[in-house]
Amino acid sequence: MNQWEGIPRDWLEEFEAAARRPLELRMRYAFLRTYKPVLDDASFRAFETTADYRRWCEENLPSWLGYGSV
Amino acid sequence: MAAFEYRQAEAVRNAFARRGVRYLFLGKSGAILLGFPDTTQDADLFVQRSRENGRALVAALRELGFDLTDNQAAEIEQGKDFVQLKNGPFDLDLIFAPDGIERFEEAWERRLEVEGFPVCHIDDIIASKAATNRVKDREALPRLRAFREYWRLKQESQASE
Repeated sequence: MNQWEGIPRDWLEEFEAAARRPLELRMRYAFLRTYKPVLDDASFRAFETTADYRRWCEENLPSWLGYGSV
Repeated sequence: MAAFEYRQAEAVRNAFARRGVRYLFLGKSGAILLGFPDTTQDADLFVQRSRENGRALVAALRELGFDLTDNQAAEIEQGKDFVQLKNGPFDLDLIFAPDGIERFEEAWERRLEVEGFPVCHIDDIIASKAATNRVKDREALPRLRAFREYWRLKQESQASE
């Protein structure tokens, strides 16, 4: 029995390729920087509770950023 | 602002170690350290909430070049649940109370180390993503769960060699 059979083939290939790369290279491929409207417009934000943060995201961020609830 | 890089992660690791900060990489940045191939924009750090750890954290952040006012430093020391930092050499999210993880100590017990980086266990990363119930996290979960299976089988295979 193939031990990987539960994992989609294209994902498995990506996991295997990543496992062959050193961490420094994996990080270079992984971390991107693009401007996120509203979210990136303040240099510091602190929320008393995680629920407050989630609510703020719902009410203030464009929905296409994906920070809203399902 | 440039993207988060390996050398910046090293700077975090080293500064936090010098100050004795207790923290774990969480979220997709944590998964990436474990080998998950995907993209993200921010590094998420799950930080133990205590006055002592908060003071050490502020000192380490200032050493790294984060420009914190006294009020901002106080909010971090106090351990507000979620702090977003965009006033330093790179962006950091400090999370003192992540969704889906009850206590820091429990996550610390389950932590993994990758090149000296303390990382939440993949089960905790997934539990946290699942609990947020956000669109972007829901989209990432199937692939993250497949990676967990891959990672688990790899660990078993390496242990039996």
